[in-house]
Amino acid sequence: MSNYIPRRSFLKKTAMAAAATVAAPYILPTGRLFAASGNRIANHVVFCMFAGGVRNIESVLQGRGNLMPGTFIGSAGIDPSIAPGIQPLPLPMGQTLQAQATLFKQFRYAQGPTGHFNGHSTALTGNYTLQDLSIKEPPRNPTVFEYYRKHSDPIQNALNAWWISNALGPYPSLNFSTYPGYGALYGANFMQPATLISELGANALSNPKAFSQAQMQSVNDLRSFFNESFSRSATQDGGSILNENSDKDLIQSFLQSTFDTALAGGLNDPWNVGQQFMNDDMFNVSAAERIIQQFKPELLVVNMQGVDICHSNYTQYCNNLRKADYAVSHLWQTIQNTPGMANDTILIVAPEHGRNLQPNTISDNYGQLALDHTSDNTSREIFCMVVGPPDKVQQNQVINTVTGESIDIVPTIAHILGFKDAIPGGMLPGRVLNEAFV
Amino acid sequence: MRVLNKPLVILTVITILFSSAIGCKKETNYIYEVEDVQVTKDQSEKTVSKTMVEFISIAYADVFGLTISQNDLGILSLLYLAFGDKVLIEDVLVKNMLNSTEANLPSDAEMRSNIGLYVKNTYLKLYNREPNELESFTLNKKISDNLEMTSAMVYYAMMTSNEYRFY
Repeated sequence: MSNYIPRRSFLKKTAMAAAATVAAPYILPTGRLFAASGNRIANHVVFCMFAGGVRNIESVLQGRGNLMPGTFIGSAGIDPSIAPGIQPLPLPMGQTLQAQATLFKQFRYAQGPTGHFNGHSTALTGNYTLQDLSIKEPPRNPTVFEYYRKHSDPIQNALNAWWISNALGPYPSLNFSTYPGYGALYGANFMQPATLISELGANALSNPKAFSQAQMQSVNDLRSFFNESFSRSATQDGGSILNENSDKDLIQSFLQSTFDTALAGGLNDPWNVGQQFMNDDMFNVSAAERIIQQFKPELLVVNMQGVDICHSNYTQYCNNLRKADYAVSHLWQTIQNTPGMANDTILIVAPEHGRNLQPNTISDNYGQLALDHTSDNTSREIFCMVVGPPDKVQQNQVINTVTGESIDIVPTIAHILGFKDAIPGGMLPGRVLNEAFV
Repeated sequence: MRVLNKPLVILTVITILFSSAIGCKKETNYIYEVEDVQVTKDQSEKTVSKTMVEFISIAYADVFGLTISQNDLGILSLLYLAFGDKVLIEDVLVKNMLNSTEANLPSDAEMRSNIGLYVKNTYLKLYNREPNELESFTLNKKISDNLEMTSAMVYYAMMTSNEYRFY
């Protein structure tokens, strides 16, 4: 006897099975859940904004010698006229980043004022700041963190997204935008280590009242009771991101452990390069490394801006370029030494904008004239480097033609983490830097 | 000569006399005795989220019984800005304040000696309102039933609750 299936039923079941195959997420051997349309190149992205205003002349073009030996291939010695002002840091370990990367040598910050906050905002939102930019408000366009958290499948929690800034001022507001449908709900965790992990921070925040587990249970019970009789929630006004309760505990433990380490002197010279060589950029990156080691976030953005001293001291600018170079090399080493992120992370390095071709009139101790950044053509010329494992990123590739611009970084991150196609059309004018990928 | 209308004159005299009788009546001073009432805001009217400065200043005053100095306010504001999850950093801040040797909370003994009064005063202090009957009864019971409950735990729970962040 044959099993008769009515044609209509057969077609319906076949269609449903086909739809399920396409729509249902795949569970990969790693246990990670992916939407079928969201294949990733890597599971982690670290974006290091080599910010503060870096000219190509001193960086990729090595016009004063190779000031960035951890980042760029090149054996040219440091220009003798500035060499006495460059502190003797140890050489970064391992291969240069360039050998493990695709280098866009003629990247552009093509539009908008060459201001630091404009540059940061552009790099993090994928949109140039062509209108007035309020430094007291979050960006108008969604940030990469919001795209990531909202459009990843499954939706990601805040513990997976971090913005580590070297400065306060307007920068804390870059972790989420005011764009309708996005905002704080999808924002990143933000930290400014130089203020938080300081003596003042330790004095005020490192000695919390300790409650036993049973006491915390009673406190939580009490708090629930209080909250039940109040209809508004703490984050209803959208002024802050919100971590899951379990993640909050992890973050508080992390902060406590960081304070304890700092109080014991363990953060004075975390890389053993000599405390006298550590600057704010190095300290900021070392804090980002602690977050990488602790939480293995899928998306972390960290910046450096020490080179902006170039407004008044050119040689110190070069010295800080050298330190930032050491920091970004160390960052990559840390990523490669962190289980879960090693070989599964793509590092993107780019300045937010460049600096002017013509100097101003301020001379330093070595007779070098300082440089501002006032939107001339040179201040729009930057580099971008996409560093990653050989099975994901084209190694030791240099693109010498004018290719890529600042607004391409967000779509590229979205592409790497597999949520690019989920972003509504028209929101990101840039393109994916496909040249970088295998 | 004009002749007066006698009935009209009589009526006028009576009216004047009556009016003056009323007009000359001694004034009575009425004294309306009203009890002093503390004006507090009902919880349903609390719709405005405290700003960073307000939260820090009020929390400091609630824990230490003092107005925060400009210097301390400046420092705590910077620390507050340096972390993105405001609920989390407020939690850390409150726990640190409560652990200070200068914290000025009712002691556990004071709390237990008159729980009803403690509940009322704590609501007034931290929520700027009296508890309703259900709240009073429930918190009273939670404290009475749990001998491990401390005054610091009650303060911590209230100061990190949603209502505390609004006015």
